[in-house]
Amino acid sequence: MNHAIAVAGAMIAAGLALGGGAIGAAVGDGLAGSATINGVSRQPEAQGRLTTIMFLIIGLVEAMYFINLALGFYFIVGVAASVGG
Amino acid sequence: MRYLAEAPPGTHPLVPVCGDGSFSIVVGKFYYCAFTIDTLTSTLLAVVVTLALCFLIANRLSHRVPGKLQMVLEFLLSYARGMQKDQGAEDAAFILPIAATIFVYILVANWLDFLPLPHPYFRPATADINQTFALATFVILVVQYYSLRTLGLRGYLLRFTKPFDANLAFRIGFIPINIIEELTKPISLSLRLFGNIFAGLLMVYLLTLLPIFVSPIPLILWKAFDVFFVGTIQAFIFMLLTIIYFGMAREGAEEEHHGGGHAQAAPHRGGQPVS
Repeated sequence: MNHAIAVAGAMIAAGLALGGGAIGAAVGDGLAGSATINGVSRQPEAQGRLTTIMFLIIGLVEAMYFINLALGFYFIVGVAASVGG
Repeated sequence: MRYLAEAPPGTHPLVPVCGDGSFSIVVGKFYYCAFTIDTLTSTLLAVVVTLALCFLIANRLSHRVPGKLQMVLEFLLSYARGMQKDQGAEDAAFILPIAATIFVYILVANWLDFLPLPHPYFRPATADINQTFALATFVILVVQYYSLRTLGLRGYLLRFTKPFDANLAFRIGFIPINIIEELTKPISLSLRLFGNIFAGLLMVYLLTLLPIFVSPIPLILWKAFDVFFVGTIQAFIFMLLTIIYFGMAREGAEEEHHGGGHAQAAPHRGGQPVS
Protein backbone atom coordinates (compact mmCIF):
# COMPACT_ATOMS: atom_id res chain seq x y z
CA MET A 1 0.00 0.00 0.00
CA ASN A 2 2.76 2.40 0.99
CA HIS A 3 4.65 1.37 -2.09
CA ALA A 4 1.73 2.10 -4.39
CA ILE A 5 1.16 5.51 -2.82
CA ALA A 6 4.84 6.40 -3.10
CA VAL A 7 5.06 5.34 -6.74
CA ALA A 8 1.86 7.18 -7.60
CA GLY A 9 3.22 10.30 -5.91
CA ALA A 10 6.51 9.98 -7.75
CA MET A 11 4.69 9.63 -11.06
CA ILE A 12 2.51 12.68 -10.36
CA ALA A 13 5.62 14.66 -9.40
CA ALA A 14 7.45 13.57 -12.54
CA GLY A 15 4.41 14.47 -14.63
CA LEU A 16 4.23 17.93 -13.09
CA ALA A 17 7.94 18.42 -13.68
CA LEU A 18 7.59 17.32 -17.28
CA GLY A 19 4.65 19.67 -17.84
CA GLY A 20 6.47 22.66 -16.41
CA GLY A 21 9.63 21.80 -18.31
CA ALA A 22 7.70 21.50 -21.56
CA ILE A 23 6.10 24.92 -21.02
CA GLY A 24 9.51 26.46 -20.36
CA ALA A 25 11.14 24.81 -23.35
CA ALA A 26 8.26 25.85 -25.62
CA VAL A 27 8.47 29.47 -24.49
CA GLY A 28 12.24 29.43 -24.94
CA ASP A 29 11.99 27.95 -28.44
CA GLY A 30 9.38 30.53 -29.34
CA LEU A 31 11.57 33.37 -28.13
CA ALA A 32 14.54 32.07 -30.09
CA GLY A 33 12.41 31.68 -33.22
CA SER A 34 10.85 35.12 -32.93
CA ALA A 35 14.22 36.75 -32.41
CA THR A 36 15.51 34.93 -35.49
CA ILE A 37 12.54 36.11 -37.56
CA ASN A 38 13.15 39.67 -36.37
CA GLY A 39 16.79 39.43 -37.31
CA VAL A 40 16.08 37.97 -40.75
CA SER A 41 13.44 40.56 -41.55
CA ARG A 42 15.89 43.33 -40.70
CA GLN A 43 18.86 41.76 -42.41
CA PRO A 44 17.83 39.05 -44.88
CA GLU A 45 21.42 38.34 -45.91
CA ALA A 46 22.27 37.18 -42.38
CA GLN A 47 19.80 34.30 -42.57
CA GLY A 48 22.39 31.53 -42.77
CA ARG A 49 24.30 32.62 -39.72
CA LEU A 50 21.17 33.38 -37.73
CA THR A 51 19.69 29.96 -38.46
CA THR A 52 22.81 28.26 -37.15
CA ILE A 53 22.70 30.31 -33.97
CA MET A 54 18.98 29.62 -33.61
CA PHE A 55 19.49 25.86 -33.73
CA LEU A 56 22.28 26.22 -31.22
CA ILE A 57 20.04 28.12 -28.82
CA ILE A 58 17.24 25.62 -29.38
CA GLY A 59 19.67 22.84 -28.50
CA LEU A 60 20.63 24.65 -25.31
CA VAL A 61 17.02 25.38 -24.38
CA GLU A 62 15.69 21.92 -25.07
CA ALA A 63 18.55 20.38 -23.12
CA MET A 64 16.83 21.62 -19.97
CA TYR A 65 13.69 19.75 -20.93
CA PHE A 66 15.57 16.56 -21.72
CA ILE A 67 17.43 16.75 -18.42
CA ASN A 68 14.01 17.07 -16.83
CA LEU A 69 12.75 14.00 -18.65
CA ALA A 70 15.78 11.87 -17.79
CA LEU A 71 15.92 12.90 -14.14
CA GLY A 72 12.16 12.48 -13.79
CA PHE A 73 12.50 8.92 -15.03
CA TYR A 74 15.38 8.30 -12.63
CA PHE A 75 13.25 9.79 -9.87
CA ILE A 76 10.39 7.35 -10.53
CA VAL A 77 12.73 4.36 -10.77
CA GLY A 78 14.64 5.43 -7.68
CA VAL A 79 11.52 5.91 -5.58
CA ALA A 80 10.07 2.61 -6.74
CA ALA A 81 13.34 0.80 -5.95
CA SER A 82 13.96 2.41 -2.58
CA VAL A 83 10.39 2.00 -1.29
CA GLY A 84 9.85 -1.49 -2.64
CA GLY A 85 13.37 -2.75 -1.98
CA MET B 1 5.39 -6.53 -27.65
CA ARG B 2 8.86 -5.44 -26.58
CA TYR B 3 10.94 -6.27 -29.58
CA LEU B 4 13.79 -3.77 -29.32
CA ALA B 5 14.45 -2.77 -25.75
CA GLU B 6 14.22 -5.51 -23.17
CA ALA B 7 14.76 -3.35 -20.11
CA PRO B 8 14.29 0.35 -19.51
CA PRO B 9 17.47 2.29 -20.19
CA GLY B 10 19.41 3.39 -17.17
CA THR B 11 19.75 -0.07 -15.69
CA HIS B 12 23.40 -0.70 -16.35
CA PRO B 13 24.78 -4.16 -15.57
CA LEU B 14 27.37 -3.68 -12.85
CA VAL B 15 30.61 -5.60 -12.39
CA PRO B 16 32.05 -5.17 -8.89
CA VAL B 17 35.84 -4.85 -8.69
CA CYS B 18 36.51 -4.43 -4.98
CA GLY B 19 33.45 -5.60 -3.14
CA ASP B 20 30.02 -4.11 -3.59
CA GLY B 21 30.54 -0.95 -1.60
CA SER B 22 27.74 1.52 -2.03
CA PHE B 23 26.18 4.47 -0.31
CA SER B 24 22.53 5.24 -0.62
CA ILE B 25 21.07 8.68 -1.07
CA VAL B 26 17.34 9.29 -0.77
CA VAL B 27 16.58 7.93 -4.21
CA GLY B 28 18.71 5.01 -5.24
CA LYS B 29 22.07 3.54 -4.41
CA PHE B 30 25.42 4.62 -5.78
CA TYR B 31 28.04 1.93 -6.23
CA TYR B 32 31.42 3.58 -6.14
CA CYS B 33 33.50 0.48 -6.63
CA ALA B 34 32.09 -1.18 -9.73
CA PHE B 35 32.26 -0.92 -13.51
CA THR B 36 29.27 -0.33 -15.69
CA ILE B 37 30.32 -2.83 -18.29
CA ASP B 38 28.06 -1.64 -21.13
CA THR B 39 29.45 1.88 -20.92
CA LEU B 40 32.99 0.54 -21.00
CA THR B 41 32.42 -1.62 -24.08
CA SER B 42 30.58 1.06 -26.00
CA THR B 43 33.20 3.65 -25.03
CA LEU B 44 35.86 1.31 -26.32
CA LEU B 45 33.97 0.89 -29.57
CA ALA B 46 33.50 4.64 -29.96
CA VAL B 47 37.17 5.32 -29.23
CA VAL B 48 38.28 2.70 -31.76
CA VAL B 49 35.95 4.09 -34.43
CA THR B 50 37.07 7.66 -33.72
CA LEU B 51 40.75 6.76 -33.95
CA ALA B 52 40.24 4.68 -37.09
CA LEU B 53 38.27 7.47 -38.77
CA CYS B 54 40.78 10.17 -37.94
CA PHE B 55 43.81 8.07 -38.89
CA LEU B 56 42.10 7.15 -42.14
CA ILE B 57 41.56 10.82 -42.94
CA ALA B 58 45.10 11.70 -41.87
CA ASN B 59 46.52 8.98 -44.11
CA ARG B 60 44.60 10.12 -47.14
CA LEU B 61 45.43 13.78 -46.56
CA SER B 62 45.95 15.65 -49.80
CA HIS B 63 46.34 19.31 -50.63
CA ARG B 64 45.21 19.09 -54.23
CA VAL B 65 41.99 17.07 -54.06
CA PRO B 66 40.66 16.90 -50.51
CA GLY B 67 38.21 14.12 -49.87
CA LYS B 68 34.76 14.77 -48.46
CA LEU B 69 35.62 13.65 -44.93
CA GLN B 70 38.76 15.74 -44.97
CA MET B 71 36.75 18.78 -46.02
CA VAL B 72 34.25 18.23 -43.21
CA LEU B 73 36.98 17.91 -40.61
CA GLU B 74 38.88 20.90 -41.97
CA PHE B 75 35.72 22.98 -41.85
CA LEU B 76 35.17 21.90 -38.25
CA LEU B 77 38.74 22.71 -37.28
CA SER B 78 38.71 26.13 -38.93
CA TYR B 79 35.38 26.91 -37.26
CA ALA B 80 36.72 25.91 -33.86
CA ARG B 81 39.88 27.91 -34.46
CA GLY B 82 37.85 30.99 -35.37
CA MET B 83 35.78 30.48 -32.23
CA GLN B 84 38.90 30.24 -30.13
CA LYS B 85 40.22 33.42 -31.68
CA ASP B 86 36.93 35.20 -31.00
CA GLN B 87 37.20 34.20 -27.37
CA GLY B 88 40.67 35.68 -27.21
CA ALA B 89 42.18 32.40 -26.06
CA GLU B 90 44.55 31.71 -28.95
CA ASP B 91 47.64 31.72 -26.76
CA ALA B 92 47.25 28.07 -25.70
CA ALA B 93 47.75 25.45 -28.39
CA PHE B 94 46.07 22.65 -26.45
CA ILE B 95 42.55 24.08 -26.55
CA LEU B 96 41.82 23.26 -30.17
CA PRO B 97 42.85 19.57 -30.01
CA ILE B 98 40.84 19.06 -26.82
CA ALA B 99 37.73 20.68 -28.23
CA ALA B 100 37.93 18.98 -31.62
CA THR B 101 38.64 15.56 -30.12
CA ILE B 102 35.69 15.92 -27.76
CA PHE B 103 33.44 16.87 -30.65
CA VAL B 104 34.45 13.98 -32.88
CA TYR B 105 34.32 11.48 -30.04
CA ILE B 106 30.86 12.53 -28.82
CA LEU B 107 29.59 12.64 -32.39
CA VAL B 108 30.81 9.11 -33.08
CA ALA B 109 29.48 7.85 -29.76
CA ASN B 110 26.06 9.35 -30.46
CA TRP B 111 25.84 8.23 -34.08
CA LEU B 112 26.85 4.66 -33.30
CA ASP B 113 23.47 4.39 -31.61
CA PHE B 114 21.81 4.38 -35.04
CA LEU B 115 23.38 1.04 -35.95
CA PRO B 116 21.67 -2.10 -34.65
CA LEU B 117 24.46 -3.14 -32.30
CA PRO B 118 23.98 -6.11 -29.93
CA HIS B 119 21.92 -4.61 -27.21
CA PRO B 120 22.90 -5.33 -23.63
CA TYR B 121 26.50 -4.31 -24.18
CA PHE B 122 26.29 -1.51 -26.71
CA ARG B 123 24.33 1.64 -26.13
CA PRO B 124 25.45 5.21 -26.75
CA ALA B 125 28.33 5.67 -24.34
CA THR B 126 27.20 9.21 -23.54
CA ALA B 127 23.91 7.91 -22.08
CA ASP B 128 25.73 7.21 -18.82
CA ILE B 129 26.17 10.06 -16.36
CA ASN B 130 29.57 8.68 -15.32
CA GLN B 131 30.93 9.12 -18.83
CA THR B 132 29.65 12.63 -19.40
CA PHE B 133 30.67 13.77 -15.93
CA ALA B 134 34.15 12.44 -16.52
CA LEU B 135 34.35 14.39 -19.80
CA ALA B 136 33.07 17.58 -18.21
CA THR B 137 35.32 17.26 -15.17
CA PHE B 138 38.34 16.84 -17.40
CA VAL B 139 37.39 19.93 -19.38
CA ILE B 140 36.84 22.03 -16.27
CA LEU B 141 40.12 20.90 -14.69
CA VAL B 142 42.03 21.90 -17.80
CA VAL B 143 40.14 25.20 -17.80
CA GLN B 144 41.23 25.86 -14.21
CA TYR B 145 44.82 25.02 -15.13
CA TYR B 146 44.67 27.36 -18.09
CA SER B 147 43.15 30.10 -15.95
CA LEU B 148 45.89 29.75 -13.33
CA ARG B 149 48.57 29.74 -16.01
CA THR B 150 47.22 32.78 -17.83
CA LEU B 151 46.22 34.99 -14.92
CA GLY B 152 48.59 33.86 -12.18
CA LEU B 153 47.39 33.07 -8.69
CA ARG B 154 46.36 36.63 -7.91
CA GLY B 155 44.41 37.07 -11.09
CA TYR B 156 42.84 33.65 -10.64
CA LEU B 157 41.56 34.58 -7.20
CA LEU B 158 40.51 38.04 -8.38
CA ARG B 159 38.40 36.40 -11.07
CA PHE B 160 36.06 35.18 -8.34
CA THR B 161 35.10 38.81 -7.60
CA LYS B 162 33.75 39.04 -11.07
CA PRO B 163 31.96 42.30 -11.90
CA PHE B 164 35.29 44.07 -12.31
CA ASP B 165 33.84 47.56 -12.65
CA ALA B 166 31.81 47.47 -9.40
CA ASN B 167 33.01 48.76 -6.04
CA LEU B 168 34.75 46.60 -3.46
CA ALA B 169 31.89 45.66 -1.09
CA PHE B 170 29.72 44.70 -4.05
CA ARG B 171 32.46 42.50 -5.45
CA ILE B 172 33.00 40.68 -2.15
CA GLY B 173 29.30 39.88 -2.07
CA PHE B 174 29.67 38.22 -5.45
CA ILE B 175 32.31 35.72 -4.31
CA PRO B 176 29.90 32.91 -3.32
CA ILE B 177 27.90 33.36 -6.51
CA ASN B 178 31.05 33.10 -8.60
CA ILE B 179 32.15 29.97 -6.73
CA ILE B 180 28.74 28.39 -7.32
CA GLU B 181 28.94 29.34 -10.98
CA GLU B 182 32.31 27.62 -11.26
CA LEU B 183 31.00 24.50 -9.53
CA THR B 184 27.85 24.22 -11.62
CA LYS B 185 29.76 24.40 -14.90
CA PRO B 186 30.75 20.70 -15.03
CA ILE B 187 27.36 19.65 -13.66
CA SER B 188 25.36 21.50 -16.28
CA LEU B 189 27.79 20.50 -19.02
CA SER B 190 27.54 16.80 -18.18
CA LEU B 191 23.81 16.77 -17.42
CA ARG B 192 23.01 18.47 -20.72
CA LEU B 193 24.67 15.80 -22.82
CA PHE B 194 23.55 12.92 -20.61
CA GLY B 195 19.96 14.14 -20.40
CA ASN B 196 19.61 14.51 -24.15
CA ILE B 197 21.02 11.14 -25.10
CA PHE B 198 19.37 9.30 -22.24
CA ALA B 199 15.99 10.87 -22.95
CA GLY B 200 16.38 9.71 -26.55
CA LEU B 201 16.87 6.13 -25.36
CA LEU B 202 13.94 6.54 -22.99
CA MET B 203 11.67 7.67 -25.82
CA VAL B 204 12.76 4.67 -27.89
CA TYR B 205 11.88 2.41 -24.97
CA LEU B 206 8.48 4.04 -24.53
CA LEU B 207 7.76 3.79 -28.26
CA THR B 208 8.55 0.07 -28.25
CA LEU B 209 5.81 -0.38 -25.66
CA LEU B 210 3.24 0.60 -28.32
CA PRO B 211 1.57 -2.18 -30.35
CA ILE B 212 3.82 -3.46 -33.09
CA PHE B 213 1.60 -2.24 -35.95
CA VAL B 214 1.86 1.36 -34.72
CA SER B 215 5.36 1.74 -33.40
CA PRO B 216 7.84 1.29 -36.34
CA ILE B 217 7.13 4.57 -38.15
CA PRO B 218 7.37 6.90 -35.12
CA LEU B 219 10.29 4.83 -33.92
CA ILE B 220 12.27 5.34 -37.12
CA LEU B 221 11.37 9.03 -37.27
CA TRP B 222 12.32 9.63 -33.64
CA LYS B 223 15.50 7.61 -33.92
CA ALA B 224 16.67 9.56 -36.97
CA PHE B 225 15.80 12.89 -35.35
CA ASP B 226 17.38 11.91 -32.06
CA VAL B 227 20.63 10.57 -33.46
CA PHE B 228 21.31 12.87 -36.37
CA PHE B 229 19.87 16.15 -35.06
CA VAL B 230 20.04 16.04 -31.28
CA GLY B 231 23.26 14.02 -31.22
CA THR B 232 25.04 16.38 -33.60
CA ILE B 233 23.79 19.53 -31.88
CA GLN B 234 24.73 18.26 -28.44
CA ALA B 235 28.23 17.28 -29.57
CA PHE B 236 28.60 20.70 -31.14
CA ILE B 237 27.32 22.47 -28.03
CA PHE B 238 29.74 20.54 -25.85
CA MET B 239 32.63 21.68 -28.03
CA LEU B 240 31.34 25.24 -28.15
CA LEU B 241 30.94 25.47 -24.39
CA THR B 242 34.39 23.99 -23.90
CA ILE B 243 35.90 26.77 -25.97
CA ILE B 244 33.70 29.39 -24.29
CA TYR B 245 34.77 28.20 -20.84
CA PHE B 246 38.37 28.56 -21.95
CA GLY B 247 37.52 32.08 -23.06
CA MET B 248 35.83 32.83 -19.73
CA ALA B 249 38.86 31.46 -17.88
CA ARG B 250 40.95 34.43 -18.99
CA GLU B 251 38.44 37.07 -17.95
CA GLY B 252 40.30 39.82 -16.22
CA ALA B 253 43.43 39.46 -18.32
CA GLU B 254 42.43 42.56 -20.28
CA GLU B 255 41.87 44.56 -17.10
CA GLU B 256 45.31 43.58 -15.84
CA HIS B 257 47.04 44.78 -18.96
CA HIS B 258 45.05 47.86 -19.86
CA GLY B 259 44.80 49.13 -16.31
CA GLY B 260 41.04 49.47 -16.11
CA GLY B 261 40.27 49.61 -19.79
CA HIS B 262 36.75 48.23 -19.41
CA ALA B 263 35.43 50.07 -22.42
CA GLN B 264 37.93 48.20 -24.54
CA ALA B 265 36.98 44.79 -23.23
CA ALA B 266 33.23 45.24 -23.10
CA PRO B 267 32.28 45.14 -26.82
CA HIS B 268 34.58 42.18 -27.30
CA ARG B 269 32.65 40.13 -24.76
CA GLY B 270 29.26 41.48 -25.68
CA GLY B 271 29.44 40.22 -29.23
CA GLN B 272 29.23 36.57 -28.22
CA PRO B 273 25.93 34.84 -29.02
CA VAL B 274 26.19 32.22 -26.26
CA SER B 275 27.83 32.60 -22.92
